[in-house]
Amino acid sequence: MADTASLVSILLDRILSIFVDEMINIPLINPIVERLMEIPFVNVIVAFILWKPIFHVLILPGLLGMTLALLFIIYFERKITARVQWRVGPKEVSRRTGGVIQALADGMRYLFQEVIVHRDANAFYFLQFPLISFLPVLLPLMFIPAGGTYGIKTIYTIPAALALISLIPVFIVAMGWASNSKFAYIGSVREAFMYFAYEIPFLLAVVAMIVLYQTPDPFEIVAKQWILGAVMNPIAFLAFFITVLIATSRLPFDIPEADQEVAFGPYVEYSGIIFGLVMMLPYEKLYLLSMLSVILFFGGWNGPEIAILGDLAPVIYLYIKTILFMCVVSLARSIYARYRLDQSLRLGWGVVLSLSMIALFISAGWAAWLRL
Amino acid sequence: MDEMIEFLHDGPLSPIKKWGTKWSIWPTHLVTACCGVELAHAFASGYDGERLGVLNFGMARQTNCIVVEGAITRKMARILKMTYEQMPDPKFVIVMGVCGIKGGLFWNGYHMVKPFEVVPVKYFAPGCPPTPESLLRCFRALQDEIVTGEAKNTIAYPRVRLKSEGKKKRPKKVPPSPKYVALNPSVVVDVPRDRKWEEGMEYRQRISEILGEVAERITVTGKYRIHVRVSRDKFVDAARMLRDAGFDHVKSVNIVDVPKNKKFIVEYQVSSYLNPEFIRLILTLFTEIDREEATFPSLVDVWPSADYLERELHDLFGVWFEGNPWMGKPFLLAPDTPKNPLRKDFRLQEEVYIGGEDK
Repeated sequence: MADTASLVSILLDRILSIFVDEMINIPLINPIVERLMEIPFVNVIVAFILWKPIFHVLILPGLLGMTLALLFIIYFERKITARVQWRVGPKEVSRRTGGVIQALADGMRYLFQEVIVHRDANAFYFLQFPLISFLPVLLPLMFIPAGGTYGIKTIYTIPAALALISLIPVFIVAMGWASNSKFAYIGSVREAFMYFAYEIPFLLAVVAMIVLYQTPDPFEIVAKQWILGAVMNPIAFLAFFITVLIATSRLPFDIPEADQEVAFGPYVEYSGIIFGLVMMLPYEKLYLLSMLSVILFFGGWNGPEIAILGDLAPVIYLYIKTILFMCVVSLARSIYARYRLDQSLRLGWGVVLSLSMIALFISAGWAAWLRL
Repeated sequence: MDEMIEFLHDGPLSPIKKWGTKWSIWPTHLVTACCGVELAHAFASGYDGERLGVLNFGMARQTNCIVVEGAITRKMARILKMTYEQMPDPKFVIVMGVCGIKGGLFWNGYHMVKPFEVVPVKYFAPGCPPTPESLLRCFRALQDEIVTGEAKNTIAYPRVRLKSEGKKKRPKKVPPSPKYVALNPSVVVDVPRDRKWEEGMEYRQRISEILGEVAERITVTGKYRIHVRVSRDKFVDAARMLRDAGFDHVKSVNIVDVPKNKKFIVEYQVSSYLNPEFIRLILTLFTEIDREEATFPSLVDVWPSADYLERELHDLFGVWFEGNPWMGKPFLLAPDTPKNPLRKDFRLQEEVYIGGEDK
């Protein structure tokens, strides 16, 4: 018995030593953490949660932060649309705070609602794809760093994140296929068309910024931004912004899921919490792309240091900038009317593609001049 | 399965479920009539139903409430049932307008179905149309009921084992030819149907006393429905006799186009407001006229209420009502509409799409 006990304690120490090396340092909660670290078993759990990769993926820019940001952005979108239309928007659910928890109420309602799988659907894939589609949403979070925290540290993080984000439309098309319904089919075809229209200019705009900074490593990119990237290459930012609108199905381009025409397109047959999951997909994509655009164009986690927050301060800067960017994007919903499919395809293959090419040349010019 | 549903209804998480359902009623709306305008008003800037967390939605699968706006006809009843069955389970029905309660304007119509006979209705908003306040009050009452009321299933699920029919390909067959094909059906307006109405003969006798020799044939075609065939020349005389007997208004004027026999059938449906004897009776006075020279003596002098109806039929069929002051001018249709759109030989101009730039 004594041997096994000592063996377990040695094993725990080994595990603990892995985590302790890369723990996030927050002076604000340090006294509590130190007290907890003295208790056996609990110290492993605390060290595990505060280990930088786990903290990054699960807590602040990761799952928890993303959920809060999405709940807020859905509420904000409804509220700002209401204000633009001279209405009040969601309010009565919590009068004093102006209805901030409206999206939470909607989510709870979806959680407890019946999930209908209709007979024509391919039930296996129909239920599987909404769950699997979380993979290309959560995996890019491993790659996009947030200054103080990071998941996987290589210099190829931005290309890797982009490659994973590009997988999301594949899942949406697959959902429409598994639904086996007329509107879902039309929506999937539209999604596929739009995918090809925006993906090339989008990648070119990101490549333009990588050429400008001469590195794909986000830490160096952020360190080099003593002038904001959006100022250095505004054309690239314009192309990036338009393609973000198309990629996340925001209103001027929400052609695949146009609810007045094709009744939410690929998502038409989903109900209950599964619909809640698939409806989150464009918003999750918006969160990731906003984080990427903040790193590329708005100085990432740059900001004045706050001693008491330690490593958490850059993460909070990035988070706040991301939410601000998302607010700007969601404002487009209440302003613009919807484009037709052919109009937006012409825009994607024509204007935005040429804009991103011009941006590439501008970046090449900057890079050549800066090296001199 | 049943234990899980019971857990949802009464388990420790049921307050959260009730709270979420209360503040997130997303009604899909089935607009069949003018109440749709009031629904739009209830969610526009004046009243703003979104304050309550009520968000209008176009689709059935993702919603939990359906607002039936207006009259439900027999054809729409099927669609209402389908839409209701598409919605996931905690689901509620609100009916707007008097048409959904007793039929309203279309009371006793042959085509009307009451919504509460098709789906379980939670709340009615009476009015024609109801005000936005009353609709929003329905939503508030529904919210209160969700919290205080008892959670129930709307559907009892039978256990069914589905056959794996998805993998077999259905054989492609040409659909069979219909069993009964009537070539050139004849159009008869006054088919006698007097079995269900016992006093029908008395009414028929009374009408024949009024009209005397003028009526060619008097037929009982249903409960409180009598058709009178009159020749074209004596039509105005017959109308005068009826007016003097107490038929004081025209309910409707119809024209039936029969291109095969080259004739129009002109019908005047008349009834009475003041004479209690005829107050429930709808009497149809009809005759046949030539389709090529479609002229007909107007009854404006006899019944002023026929005026607008005659103008409308002049627009749609091109029949010239002699004596009506409006003839020769468009009344309802826009000036550029093609003439006589309701004639059966009318063909729409084919649309031609020209590709290329938007020019």
